Amino acid sequence: MVQQVVDWLDERLDLSGLKHFIAEKGVPVHAQEIWYYLGGLTLFLFAVQVFTGILLLLYYRPSSTEAYESVQFIVTRVPFGWLIRNVHSWSANLLIGAAFAHFFSVFLLKSYRKPREMTWISGMLLLLLMLGFGFSGYLLPWNELSFFATKVGTGIAGSVPLVGGFLIRLLRGGDDVTGATLSRFFGLHVAILPAMSTALVALHLLLVQRQGMSVPLRVEKHLKPGERVRQMPFFPNYILRDVLVWYVALAALAALAAFSPWGLGRKADPFAAVPPGIRPEWYFLAMFHTLKLIPSHVLGFEGERLGVIAFGLVAVFLVFVPFVDRRSRDGRNSPVFTAIAIAGVLYLVVFTILAQIAS
Amino acid sequence: MSSSRYWRRSLRSAVAVAALVVCARTAAAQPAAGSAATNTCASCHATLAEPKLSAPPAAFARQDVHRESGFTCIDCHGGDRTAADKLKAHDAARGFKGAPAGQTQIAACARCHSDAEVMRKYAPRQRVDQAAEYATSVHGKQLAAGDSRVATCASCHGAHGIRRVNDAKSPVYPTNVATTCATCHASASHMSGYMLAGKQPLPTNQLALYQQSVHYAALTKGNDLSAPTCNDCHGNHGAAPPGAGSVVNVCGTCHAVFAQKFSTSVHAQIFDRGCVECHSNHAVRKPSDAMLGTDAQSLCAGCHSGADDKGVMAATKMRGDIERLKAGLNRSSATVSALSNAGMEMSAQELAVGTARTRLTLARTEMHAFDPTHVTPVVQEGLATLAAVDKAGETATAELRFRRRGLAVSLGAILLVVVALAFKIRQLERR
Repeated sequence: MVQQVVDWLDERLDLSGLKHFIAEKGVPVHAQEIWYYLGGLTLFLFAVQVFTGILLLLYYRPSSTEAYESVQFIVTRVPFGWLIRNVHSWSANLLIGAAFAHFFSVFLLKSYRKPREMTWISGMLLLLLMLGFGFSGYLLPWNELSFFATKVGTGIAGSVPLVGGFLIRLLRGGDDVTGATLSRFFGLHVAILPAMSTALVALHLLLVQRQGMSVPLRVEKHLKPGERVRQMPFFPNYILRDVLVWYVALAALAALAAFSPWGLGRKADPFAAVPPGIRPEWYFLAMFHTLKLIPSHVLGFEGERLGVIAFGLVAVFLVFVPFVDRRSRDGRNSPVFTAIAIAGVLYLVVFTILAQIAS
Repeated sequence: MSSSRYWRRSLRSAVAVAALVVCARTAAAQPAAGSAATNTCASCHATLAEPKLSAPPAAFARQDVHRESGFTCIDCHGGDRTAADKLKAHDAARGFKGAPAGQTQIAACARCHSDAEVMRKYAPRQRVDQAAEYATSVHGKQLAAGDSRVATCASCHGAHGIRRVNDAKSPVYPTNVATTCATCHASASHMSGYMLAGKQPLPTNQLALYQQSVHYAALTKGNDLSAPTCNDCHGNHGAAPPGAGSVVNVCGTCHAVFAQKFSTSVHAQIFDRGCVECHSNHAVRKPSDAMLGTDAQSLCAGCHSGADDKGVMAATKMRGDIERLKAGLNRSSATVSALSNAGMEMSAQELAVGTARTRLTLARTEMHAFDPTHVTPVVQEGLATLAAVDKAGETATAELRFRRRGLAVSLGAILLVVVALAFKIRQLERR
């Protein structure tokens, strides 16, 4: 049956090029190949987000008077609405976790080196977009925690030099977090960010397929002149392994959705006192805690502003890592960048734990 | 002292105060001209060795509401503050009065504080009837009768270094009032000789008792400045113990609904001391349901006993109703909480439990009419609300079971696919 469909299409579209590509495409086999699956896992979770997000869109109403009630309706009245919402919430978190793991694995393996600079940059931008998805999606249920966390989060944007005030009003749609902010975040979450990420995902995948998987420097060094790394057929061997990982992720999502459902909390009340324990999602905790630890003034400069500038510079630096790390580009070991990657992992883990303990 | 003598002395004193106030008003109550000029009072008194004479101007200079408004020593003490010579400065012909005490002090303060025109310039919202109220107080009456140990203005507000009433360091700030009153009222030596109406000695344990009360806790631990302290029940300038018949009105100032319910009850005619019969006066503790009933801890048992006693039957019925509602609330709250934690959306039920909890509060309020026919319907409403919550809880529990069964089935299916994929991969790689 499948063969008949392929033949039917082949007659009309001439799939010989594609068939040849699939038949010839291989994936390197070596000790670090396990890290390759993180990209596929991130892609799978992104697809889950798109699918569950579209279903949620059928019922969600993006206004301050109806948002909370519509989510409440989804989880109580809509058949399997609870499952869709819980899977969407959990998958969002797993997606960001997988994206970070993918980012650090690529960083440590130096897979960004020539000729994969564009793959790295598109991946970095995708990671930032995923964080944008998380930040904008957090407000959408319009509950107490997300409301006040968004207030704090958008307030931090005000520390960006020169354009801070403009940025706050751009994000909030006014001076404070209101229904206008919800409308903007909704637009960002379901239109602007998806459009940008779809284009970037397409580019990222195209580059990965075009250039193939990067072989780690350490593996390359052990090759004799003219020798190639052993390859595994992309189809079906690698694809089946990828699907297996996706199924495990699906099982984890289902278990999390059923046994640790995502609470809805109380509806946001802009006039209520700020409840205790306000904090952003876990993936912003390290940054949030760092900003809290910076003294209010450092050498006459506003501490929070310096922190925001520092985070901005780190993001810019990371985007341009392939061009800065010349040793990797030349095929040599790059211990400084390995140390930077390890320090980054340690910073995120330690500061996230510290923030959890502090709150 | 005989009654007629007491009233004659009171009348004489009242006339004296009135005369002082009237005379004083003519000269009232502007800060002495050129108040920023030389003040020999302060410079002389600062050099005196006796603290009683040197401390007052120092306290006045540090912080005093009158000084801040431009008043100086001579506005209360008279005399001539420009004179370098003590005799001239303290010359009675120049209006020197010394340290005003007793009725003279009342008159000195009233010179401004009873004059609406003067007070309008400095504190337009402040009342001007303090002296008139004081005259009606036990303190005022005792003073009029010649008792110089009673509190006058300076006893509570201080004489020098007077702070505004809303200054947290003022002795009459709500959190400080009890301690200020206790300066005299907790002193056995100071209070010796004062008797209650029944000729028993006036107790000195009011502060100790008050400190055990729910009111004191609310005021000092809960930072609730509206919680009552001494003056909220006794009055401040017109301080006097509320009469036995007025207690309900006094408590009802804040506890209006309880007072209204109580006024309809059979006990309103029987309890001489109103609310105090059950709740005490100074040591008002947090009430509990255990106070109602017929067991050893209950208050009702103090008067009611015997199975056929109407009071016993009413107390048993009301306590039973309240306990039934409490048990229902505990059960439903636990169900709702467990289901919420399991991820079920129970906010409507949480709201309903809150409504039932309000019914419990209302039942406890209705209980003050001491009539079960007022309590039972309220409890029934609460129980009906909880029955709906329990029904929704059963539905949610069934849904939760369904979800978990569904998960087990889907996880089984996923596991099968994973195993099948693993076999397929192994098969492919063996080729």
